[in-house]
Formats: sequence, structure tokens, C-alpha cells
Amino acid sequence: MLETMLQSLAIFSADWFMLFAADAPAPRAGYGASFMLLLFILGSVWIGILANRATSGGGFMKGFFLGNRGLGAWALALTATVQSGGTFMGFPSLVYKHGWIVGLWIASYMVVPITGFGIIGKRLAHLSRRTGAVTVPDLFRTRFNSPAVGLTCTIFLLLYMSFLMFAQFKAGAIVMQLAWPDTTDIAIAEDITPAAETSYTVGFAGVTVTLTRYHIGLMLFTFVVVGYTLIGGFLGAVWTDLFQSLLMFVGVMILLYASLTAVGGLENASLTSLKHTGPGYVTGPGYNSVEGAPDFLPLSLAISFFVVWVWGGVGTPAGLVRLMASQDTAVIRKSIYLLSLYNMGIYMPLIVICICGRALIPDLEHTDEIIPRLALMTTSKWPASSFVAGLILAAPFGAVMATVSSYLVVLSSAVVRDIYQRFVNPVADRNHLRIAAWCTMIFAGVLSVAINWNPVQFLQAFIVFSTSGAAATFLVPAVMACYWRRANSSGILTSMLSGAITVLVLYAVGIAQQLMQAQANAPTSFRPIFLLGFDPLIWGLMTSIVLGVTVTLLTDPPDEDLVSRMFDVIES
Amino acid sequence: MTRQQDPVVSSSFREAIFVVSIWLIAMVWTISVCYSMGYNRPVEDLKFVYGFPDWVFWGIIVPWCASTVVSCLFSALLFRDGALGEDVENTDDLGLGG
Repeated sequence: MLETMLQSLAIFSADWFMLFAADAPAPRAGYGASFMLLLFILGSVWIGILANRATSGGGFMKGFFLGNRGLGAWALALTATVQSGGTFMGFPSLVYKHGWIVGLWIASYMVVPITGFGIIGKRLAHLSRRTGAVTVPDLFRTRFNSPAVGLTCTIFLLLYMSFLMFAQFKAGAIVMQLAWPDTTDIAIAEDITPAAETSYTVGFAGVTVTLTRYHIGLMLFTFVVVGYTLIGGFLGAVWTDLFQSLLMFVGVMILLYASLTAVGGLENASLTSLKHTGPGYVTGPGYNSVEGAPDFLPLSLAISFFVVWVWGGVGTPAGLVRLMASQDTAVIRKSIYLLSLYNMGIYMPLIVICICGRALIPDLEHTDEIIPRLALMTTSKWPASSFVAGLILAAPFGAVMATVSSYLVVLSSAVVRDIYQRFVNPVADRNHLRIAAWCTMIFAGVLSVAINWNPVQFLQAFIVFSTSGAAATFLVPAVMACYWRRANSSGILTSMLSGAITVLVLYAVGIAQQLMQAQANAPTSFRPIFLLGFDPLIWGLMTSIVLGVTVTLLTDPPDEDLVSRMFDVIES
Repeated sequence: MTRQQDPVVSSSFREAIFVVSIWLIAMVWTISVCYSMGYNRPVEDLKFVYGFPDWVFWGIIVPWCASTVVSCLFSALLFRDGALGEDVENTDDLGLGG
């Protein structure tokens, strides 16, 4: 959730105009980064194989797509709702640009652990067993005994997840570039042009193709991610994600120490960066280097983000699936404190690090590069500095990889469970299901390479839309399914559709306006309409609640027997 | 015949209400303190607490620590463990198994 929103924020920003502005040549990452990346890839494949062994018993569907409902506390806590690529790229860039106010922007992460697991976590894990559900559409379908609800859910899920996933491949390909030992592109930013200057001509069976590093990176990335996801399934995706989260924690701790020492204390960092910028850097509503740009965080958006991060986190399909897969209630309970300690240890230090960054490297144009640059700069005198920097550089790569892998699992589970098994071959055996799952993933991989072959900027607009859209579509229905005995299929359908349509309309109108305003050249940014200053997700959730509840009350109550099967003690 | 609601459902609902109130309290605290102390503040009289601008300290750092303590207490004391039950075979028309 966070990471995709962050990626899009990068385009909202005025940096777009500075596409070709040049920074001082970056210090080179050297072989450390390539080595760490290789290590990471090997680690992921190994994890995939372990995961494959761990789930080889029992039915294929629950094993491959849910890890036999065996997620432990660490795996659930550090992967279900948290940070990813954006934590090391977009978020630091925001702090670097706007100052301390970004602390308020992210402040709701203080309660995300307790809300993410405490609101519907336990009940959803319970309900998924009561329904025998493997996927989110599966759960809704059985809970309301309604094929229409299941199908609507499947369609939305496939739509959002495809958009989200295709765009991630591009980020993955760009990170691969940074691992070339002689590269100077050290961060993943939307505005880095793929390194087209270096190309390789490859001949195969009489056909010659000219490939750039971007293309090689794209294919390599796809091959690795699809490969280990095929082997490891859901559990492989979750374990790699855990591995990456721990790596990130280590990286942040090293960098916190390194940058505070380099700048000579936090107060000093604030005062020095204040000198380089303006009063907005240490006060609200934030600093903006461009004259006349809108305030970074007016009060209405501060409130919006406190709602968006919290409730958006509860409603993401990939997050819901992980709750369904958790082993028991003790796992959910332990996850709450693990994640609350982890979040405190990641976000507050990152803010401090980036404030130090502004003091140490005052005038960066490509602000996404702040973390890698800071890593290279502050550790340059350390022994084995190339590897320390490589560790920090490898973290965003791991994050993107883990994200793609988990989306791939959700996507293929929906195809295999809710389409293939439901409509094509209900009696498919283990081998059929495995082949169907593999084909879906390989197909998704090939399609992603094809779509990203010439990188499309426009996809970013769909990412933001998909993230908000998914939350607006699934959150209210999920809460209703969990706690409201009176909820019926008509109400759920209304709630899903109205939430989705509200967000869609607000985005479509916003984008259309900018397309009309834009001159002959390409539009400069994609942003939705912030009605009364609030984020579209807030409007989506409100319509979803109001219409969902109203329609439920106006239509017949659900079958008492069905409700009882979902809510009451099972008599043996 | 009335059947009894599963205790997992009731305890989850109670906890959900508690969590939502924590979220509301955190939101009101954080935003009101940051807004009143930090927005449009003249830089000259900005003070620093442990290196943080004072509004960041009282409006973000302190509530963040408090939320972490509350989350830990919640999971240690209030969150009730219960049996999640076994997987029921899919009960719809197709009867799909895993």
C-alpha cells in the first residue's frame, strides 16, 4: 500500500520538470552491490525450495496458496501490512524534500500494527476456516452463499492486482541496473531514463536483437521472481518478504548511526538543513522548493493520511490473505507487538536519517537517491564499505521482488481457484491444479515483460487508483462480513460497487482535467480530485458504508441457517 | 432453538471497538498537537527537545511511543486467544475441496 502510493507521489512532485537536471556524479557502488544482489537472489531461490518442501503434504490449493494456514508470528507481523520498496525510495525522498512535516504524514503508522491485526484479523482467520476459503473471493462467496458476490470480487481483484503487479516489474528492472558494477544510476526513480546508452546485440537462431541493460534487467528480474514463486508459492513469497524486512532493519540501524555521527547530532542536522532550505523545513505545512506549489500537507490531507494508511492497510487483498493464512490466535496476538516495535524502529530513524541527509547533501535533484548516496558517503571510510553500501542498496531490490512475488500468488490463486476450478474444471486433481497455477504465473510474467518492454509512464496512474480502489472495494464488505449478522449479498454487492465507482470517478475526473489542461506535450502529473481537500479513498469508504448499509436494510435478511453456520458455536 | 454465538466472534468485536478508539485518540492527539504547535510557527521561537523540533517531539514521538506501549499491553492483556476451529469443507453448491 504505502510503497505504491509513494511511487506515484514521486510523479505528483515538481521534480518532474527537472527530468534532465544533473547531480554530481554519484560515487560508485562497486562490486559490493552486485554481490549483495546475487546473494539475495540465491537466498530467495533457496527459501523457495524450503517453502516447497514445507508445503508438500496435504492438498495442493491450501498448501501452495495458503501455506496450509501455518504462518507464524514473525512471518505475519513483518509482511502483512508493512513497508516495501517505497520505504527505502519514495518515503526518504519526501522527507528530504519537505522536512519534518513528513513525520505527521506517516504518523498513523504508530497504530497500523494494532489496527491491521486487531480490527478484523482474528475474526477473518476464523471466518476463513468456517468457509474453507482459499482466496478472498472464495471467502465472500461462501460467507453469503452468492456466486454473484464471488464473481464481482474476483473481477475486481484481478483488475487491481494486474495493474499493481505489471508496474512493479519496471521498478524491478531498474533496480537490476544499479547492480552493474560500473553504474552511476543509484536509485530507483520514476524519472531515471533506462540506461539506453549501453546496449548489447544478441544473436540467436538467425535473429539478432539489440538489448539495453533495462531489457536484460527486466528479463532477469522476471525470471528470478516467477521462478522462485513457482517453486515456493505463497510461503516462498512470505518468507522472502520476511528476509527482506529483516535486511531492511539492519540497513536502517547502520545508516542511523552512520549519518548521526557524520552530521554531529540531530539538532545540528535540523539547523543545518534549515539553513539550506527555508522555515517550512522545520514547521508545518512543510517546505517546498518550488514557488507557488500547493502546500505539502494541509490539515485536510493530514487527516486524510491518518485514515488512508490505517484503513487502506486493513483492506488490501494481499494483507487479507495473510490473515487468512495465520496459524492461530496467538500468532495474531504476537504479531501486534512485533510489528509495533518494528515500525517504531524503522520509520522514526528513517525520518532522522533523511533530515541528516539534507544537512549532509543539501542540493540533490534526484531526491530518490538520498538513501543510497548517504549510504555510500557515510560508510566510505569503513572497512568493506562496498558491502555495507551494497546491503543498503539491495534492500529496495528485495522489497520490489517480495511485493511482485506476493501479488503473483494472489493473482494466480484467483485465476486457479475462482475461475479455473469454479468454471472450467471443478474436479481437477493435484497435477492439473499445479499446472494451472504455473501456467498463470508464467503467463503473467511474459505479459509483464511485454507490457514493460517500452516503459509506460501512464501505468503509474493505475497504480494509485488500484491501491485506493482495492481498499475502497474490499474494506467495508470485509468488516460487514465479519461482524454484521444482518449483512446480505445485495448489501455487499452495493458496498463493493459503490466504493469502487466513487474512487474511479474521482480519479477519472482528475486525470481528464489534467489531460485537457496539458499543452501539446505529455501531461505533467496524474492526480485525482481531492474533493473538499480529502483523499478519494475517504469518499469511497463513505459511499461504501452508507449505500451498503442502506441497501442491506432495505432488502431481505439473509438465511438464518447460513448466518448461524458463520457466527455460532458448531455443535458436535 | 437459539444457538450460542462463537466466543471468538464476540471477543473479536470487543477488541475491534477498543482498537478503533485507540486509532481515534491517536489521530486527535497527533494532529491537534502538530497543528497547534507546528503549523505556521515562526522559526525564531522554535525549541528543540532531544534534538527534535518540540512539536515533532510532543506531537509524533511521544504518541508513537505511547501507541507502541498500548499495542503491547493490548496484545498482552486484552486480546483473547481462542480456538479458530478446523477447516469446514466448502459448503456451497460446488463443494470444492482444497
